[in-house]
Amino acid sequence: MVKVIAVLSIIAGGCWLFGLGLTVYDQFFQPTASLSTHYRAEETTDEDHRLQIVAIGDSLTRGTGDETGKGYVGYVLDELRTKTKQPIQLTNLAIKGQVSEQLLQQLQQNEVQRQLKQADFVFMTIGGNDLFQGGETLQNLSAEYINRIKSVYLRHLDAIFRTIRSVNPHAVVFYIGLYNPFNQLDHAETTSAIVRQWNYDSAEVAARYPHIIAVPTYDLFELHVNDYLYSDQFHPNKEGYKLIGERLSSLITFTKEGKK
Amino acid sequence: MTDLVYNEMLKIIRKKRLFIIAAITAVLVALFTYAQFKHVQDVQKRLGTADWRTQLQQQIIDTQNRLNSSGIDEEWRKFLQIRLQQQQYYLDHNINPSAPGAPTFMRTFVENAIDLFLPLMVMVVVADLVSSEASGGTIKLLLTRPIKRWKILLSKYIAMLLSISFIVLSLVCLSWLISGAVFGYGGWNLPLLTGFTIQGEELNTANVHLISQWKYLLMELGLAWFVAVVVGTLTFMLSVLIRSTAAVMGVMLAALISGAILANMVSSWESAKYFFMVNLRLTDYISGTAPPINGMTLGFSMSVLAVWGIAALLVAFFVFVKRDVY
Repeated sequence: MVKVIAVLSIIAGGCWLFGLGLTVYDQFFQPTASLSTHYRAEETTDEDHRLQIVAIGDSLTRGTGDETGKGYVGYVLDELRTKTKQPIQLTNLAIKGQVSEQLLQQLQQNEVQRQLKQADFVFMTIGGNDLFQGGETLQNLSAEYINRIKSVYLRHLDAIFRTIRSVNPHAVVFYIGLYNPFNQLDHAETTSAIVRQWNYDSAEVAARYPHIIAVPTYDLFELHVNDYLYSDQFHPNKEGYKLIGERLSSLITFTKEGKK
Repeated sequence: MTDLVYNEMLKIIRKKRLFIIAAITAVLVALFTYAQFKHVQDVQKRLGTADWRTQLQQQIIDTQNRLNSSGIDEEWRKFLQIRLQQQQYYLDHNINPSAPGAPTFMRTFVENAIDLFLPLMVMVVVADLVSSEASGGTIKLLLTRPIKRWKILLSKYIAMLLSISFIVLSLVCLSWLISGAVFGYGGWNLPLLTGFTIQGEELNTANVHLISQWKYLLMELGLAWFVAVVVGTLTFMLSVLIRSTAAVMGVMLAALISGAILANMVSSWESAKYFFMVNLRLTDYISGTAPPINGMTLGFSMSVLAVWGIAALLVAFFVFVKRDVY
């Protein structure tokens, strides 16, 4: 018994010592061989029967402000699950605080493109941070300034749509427009006008591409904006997200019937 | 000499500690396997897919969102930043860092056991190697033999090295056997990345290279063994210095636990990196996790541990040879 354990221990000890030596060799003396980037963009077709939803964009798609963490995406999903028996796969790639330029960069990633390729529906919110910049824009509402950031934004937006369409020509893209969270503050008329114009111009860009649908949210928040805003006075709260979710889910049923 | 070592091994095995350690390991591994299994299931249910790329992409996005939250701790932010870059690197190279399988489980287990669990198990065996002879009075019988004192201590030390090797071996075997029943026994040849170096907040990928999982695991086990030996040597020294086994255990336990706590708050106290207990997580360097203090590297940590170990060994031998036994 003792001998067996002793022999085992000696063998094991040799093994571990070898492992230690290997570590030292591998970590300190390994010639720097550059790693070949062999990304195989393989297709996975085994999940075709699923309804694939990819959500991209900023904090609205992420669901910031909804204490349940669902966001409008979650409510749409709940709604869809009652309507269809098809298994649904959601990939939420939205990142808080993202602006159009960052989204454009994100869309260049291999894996993100692979996800997009498989998508049946794409949900997208973008632009809120481009326009309001966390509230900074409120300090400078001059038309000249707004037009400058808007033209940059529209250029990015066009590139985003073009990327999505080139990766996946068939998915229906729901581009969710902006509402005016500052509806009841000073300069409400100015900010509302800016948001309306912003949405209009964005919808014009969306109209250049097939199956990209600009979904308005402006009207949802127009009357009782404070009832639907989270305590940061910028993001929607649970009720606000429910409103957006309801609007979006009604559109999806319509397009599904339209397809059949 | 061989007889002496054999004699010491006999004493260790008679005490049945090694089997108790194996039993504890088996129970814990079973627990962790179940936890891991639940976790995998949960992730699949939440994302509605078993595709690892989707899961990894989702993890990356979650991390990015956490990074963008306000009021995030600076320390934590840096940690996330580095993990994020690493995950992105894995994804870009189409390598799954956590493909299911027993070897992957073993890897995670070793990485998490190296700084507390494994040292604890080592302590259970080593703490009373010398002190029990002193408190039991048998040391007199041992020292009256016509054998040099340093030889007696050396035989004890070699027996300790053997037991540590055995503990690591049983850890490997048990975790493979038990977790394999759930995750499958294969997956030894999966490619993994190593060689990440961390510079401030950036992850340097210049030296990154692919190795098979079995090699990766062997490397980690080598490091775990090294850590166990150093902790064992320190315990051994205390066992020579202190007659009471309970006191030996207490001191070592306090040191190990303080290491775990210190690692979370020492980043601004730079000279703390010379303590042995903040250097125990050697496997983190292989996998490329941010070290607790800026500027710590594998070479540094191994040297610190080696210096502590050698110093402890010298003290132990010096004291044991010179001391009056009465």
